[in-house]
Amino acid sequence: MAHYIELTPFDLFLAIGLIVIAASISAALKLGLTRSLSLAATRCMLQLGAMGFILKKIFQINTPVLVLAWLLVMLIFAAREAVRRSKTKYRGINLDALATMTVSSLVAGGLVTQMVINVQPWYDPQYLIPIFGMVFGNSLNGICLCLDRLTEYVRSRGNEIELMLTFGATRAEAIRDGARQAVRTGMIPIINNMTVAGIVSLPGMMTGQIVAGASPIQAVAYQIVIMFMIAAANALGSMSIAALAGRRLVTDFGLKLPPMEKT
Amino acid sequence: MEDFECGPISCLTESGQYILKDVVLKFQAPRLVVINGPSGCGKSTLLRAVAGLNRAKTAKRRLDSRLYSEKELPEWRAHVTLLLQDAPCLDGSLLDNISFAFGFKNGSDRTFSQDRALQIINKVRLDHIPLDAHVNRLSGGERHRLGIVRGLVWAPPVLMADEPLSGLEPELADSCFDILKEYSRQQEAIVICVLHEERFALRADEWLRLEHGTLHRVNTI
Repeated sequence: MAHYIELTPFDLFLAIGLIVIAASISAALKLGLTRSLSLAATRCMLQLGAMGFILKKIFQINTPVLVLAWLLVMLIFAAREAVRRSKTKYRGINLDALATMTVSSLVAGGLVTQMVINVQPWYDPQYLIPIFGMVFGNSLNGICLCLDRLTEYVRSRGNEIELMLTFGATRAEAIRDGARQAVRTGMIPIINNMTVAGIVSLPGMMTGQIVAGASPIQAVAYQIVIMFMIAAANALGSMSIAALAGRRLVTDFGLKLPPMEKT
Repeated sequence: MEDFECGPISCLTESGQYILKDVVLKFQAPRLVVINGPSGCGKSTLLRAVAGLNRAKTAKRRLDSRLYSEKELPEWRAHVTLLLQDAPCLDGSLLDNISFAFGFKNGSDRTFSQDRALQIINKVRLDHIPLDAHVNRLSGGERHRLGIVRGLVWAPPVLMADEPLSGLEPELADSCFDILKEYSRQQEAIVICVLHEERFALRADEWLRLEHGTLHRVNTI
């Protein structure tokens, strides 16, 4: 393993100074963000801290059951978050989100860890947990965007969907345009990310590997694999959530619109 | 000769009152039927129930000797087609709006004839608008006439229309009504219209009144 500078508790203490800078700006300009900023910083520290200890334990114990159990926990949280973030909720959305996340991440993350990187042993948490974490986090985004676009479409163009149904369209025919637009919307962020990668932004994982002492070429190679994986997961995720949600929003008996979430 | 039967149809409000109670529609082609009744009596609910576009309980849907199950609703709707209230349009041109259904799986056995479409467009006096114009140019009355064109070009054996003549000047409404009647004769079809005005009801083959959830035949002689 290449060397890197270890951070001490004192270094972290210094980093708190940075949050103090942000908080004093908020106070000076009366932005009213001081409280939420400190709360967010505290949560961030506690959550990441807890995560650090949990990961350390999982790495030590290093059994497949424990790794898979942890992945399951991450999956459930990601699916819940996808549902929480989407503006409209319909009956069965939890199940749809979970199913979609499971399939898309399993396929994309599974292919990358087991065939591209070929992790040995197959459950090695050092690879599986961060890589699946990235798949979950990114497909969550794609699923949310796709879902919002689809419900928005059904809401604003419901009368067109009904018109098609009255002339004999199947549900799939009636929702096709909307689903297509929704999948597009779900995939745009990753396309944008890939387009500017390396020029505007140095992706987080690559940055991390370089700091940890990996060769930049290796870091880039990993990053490319990860980005393609995210693209695949997003495409799969958007497509399946659009199909699942489409079935619930356009039924055999016409439209079934969920009530609008109050904000 | 088509033989159409739908029902008994029942539909309850959330508070448990009947909007429709065991309503049966049964007609033989050719036939032009006008349904009216006080506003809010469930006329739209009835037509939507026949089309299978709400959760009303509908015991049977039959066209000639064929029964349609709930799974076959799309196919049923291709034959028993409802022109919706307020005449919604697809975001597209006039041509898109009268030809789209021919691209559906359930429209694959029909061919779109632009000549026939132009004939009907002439009849309803929409010929001043080019076929490739976008529908957002149309006024309310023009949208309703476009709806009629869409229905007649599609030419289903049973055509239902929910207030197809609203927003039309009396003279134009009369000629559109005649066009619907002529369609039922020429195509041996059943046309079921919800219309408020009594003068149309008087000119129909059959006048039905919906009140308190039940249909009554009104004697016109």
